Amino acid sequence: MSDVIAARNLKLAYPRHEPVIRDGSFRIHSKEFVFITGASGSGKSTLLKSLYGAMKPIGGELQVGGIDMMRINRSGLHKLRRHIGIVFQDYKLIREWTVEKNVMLPLIIAGFPKDVCRSQAAKLLNHVKLAHKADRYPMELSGGEQQRVALARALAHNPFLILADEPTGNLDEYSAQVVWELLERANQELETTVLVVTHRIPELFAADHRHLMIENGVVYDLR
Amino acid sequence: MTFVRNHLGLVLPLFAILFALEYLMVFERAVTRYEESLKDQYRVIVVADRSVKAADLRNVDVLVAEAEPVDPKQVLQKIRRRITPESLKKLQSVIPSFYLLGLRTYPGSHRLEKLKKELLALPGVKEVQIFKKRHDRLYGMLLFMKSNLYLFSLLIGWIALLLIVKQMYIWQLEHKERMQIMAYFGAPVWLRSGVLFRLAFVDAFLAWLLTAGLTIYAFNDPTILALLRQMHIDPAAIWSLEDFGRLALVGFAIAFASAFWVVFRFREES
Repeated sequence: MSDVIAARNLKLAYPRHEPVIRDGSFRIHSKEFVFITGASGSGKSTLLKSLYGAMKPIGGELQVGGIDMMRINRSGLHKLRRHIGIVFQDYKLIREWTVEKNVMLPLIIAGFPKDVCRSQAAKLLNHVKLAHKADRYPMELSGGEQQRVALARALAHNPFLILADEPTGNLDEYSAQVVWELLERANQELETTVLVVTHRIPELFAADHRHLMIENGVVYDLR
Repeated sequence: MTFVRNHLGLVLPLFAILFALEYLMVFERAVTRYEESLKDQYRVIVVADRSVKAADLRNVDVLVAEAEPVDPKQVLQKIRRRITPESLKKLQSVIPSFYLLGLRTYPGSHRLEKLKKELLALPGVKEVQIFKKRHDRLYGMLLFMKSNLYLFSLLIGWIALLLIVKQMYIWQLEHKERMQIMAYFGAPVWLRSGVLFRLAFVDAFLAWLLTAGLTIYAFNDPTILALLRQMHIDPAAIWSLEDFGRLALVGFAIAFASAFWVVFRFREES
């Protein structure tokens, strides 16, 4: 299996602060479903940010999709992000856009024709059981529904990697369960590599998936 | 309503800047015309006890554009009926030479005094009449008009610029989140800034349209036309169609510069 993510002695720090991650060495293979856990402030989200280029490592090596994140430039970063799906705890949907247009976002960026964008959005909204709310605006949806829209958006462009930062952090138990199932299906049916940052792994998935844990700035691979 | 709210923030200050600019251009031309008409109507009278060459008078200072002698008959014509023919004959033999000088520009008081001294230094020149009191009053008025014009335009421009800066910060707040989300999915700058540039284009166009409309209205308004004619100013001479091109250029430049500012602020932050 090829490496989707490869980190060696990775060091991450915010300007004028001590490193949050002092030693991150791990590999994530294609089609894997991996959880990253750790206490609050342990650097889980910081690690995820470095994977989509929102934070540049201060040391070590990091490759995402075969691209060296230490040397990536702005245009290279744009290209890489067009092949990654990101899911945020606070959904980050564009408020002025309808649900359908939000799902279409990665396809619009990729330059697909409008009819292709629409049919793909319809398919994904059907997949997350929100086809009937395609014309609504994000603020008209519940938190769980908004996160399902965000998931549909993350899957729209068939990314090779999905990065999810506390995707169920703001959701009730039922909505969280739906989101976990959707991530699991994306991994199994679409064979997308999924990396989820969470403070608590759902019991149902705990045994089946790989688990990285961050403690005192070190990333431990618990397998 | 949303359309109005979204656009008014930039359209109004842009309109203020463009209108001030149009006002500045038109008023400056009007003041220049007024200055020219003052200059055309103004003459310096030189009195000499002997004949002076017109060329000598012209060469005395670059300010002098023309010099022409006044026929003594013209002077005597006015008093002919009031005196006897003998007295008129006597007067004819002793009457000095008169000259009228036309100037290139309408000068300030000090410049005029300097010219007077230079003329008095010419051999034969006994008297130079510069009509100082009337000149100073008119020149003061001209200076007042000019300084008011620049002060007004500066004030409007400054207030409008402050409003534009405020609008840029509002734009930044309004569009930052959307631009950030689009950036997470790899949108290039032109795509995530498209809305901003569309806004800038529409706002600049609306501001230009408003200014052009108001200017056309003003130059067709009978009251304003009558006022201009009263001041001996030809409306056609102070308004030019090219102004609209200049206004469009300035309007679009300011609007796009504002949009670029927001885009680059976002780039720096991200």
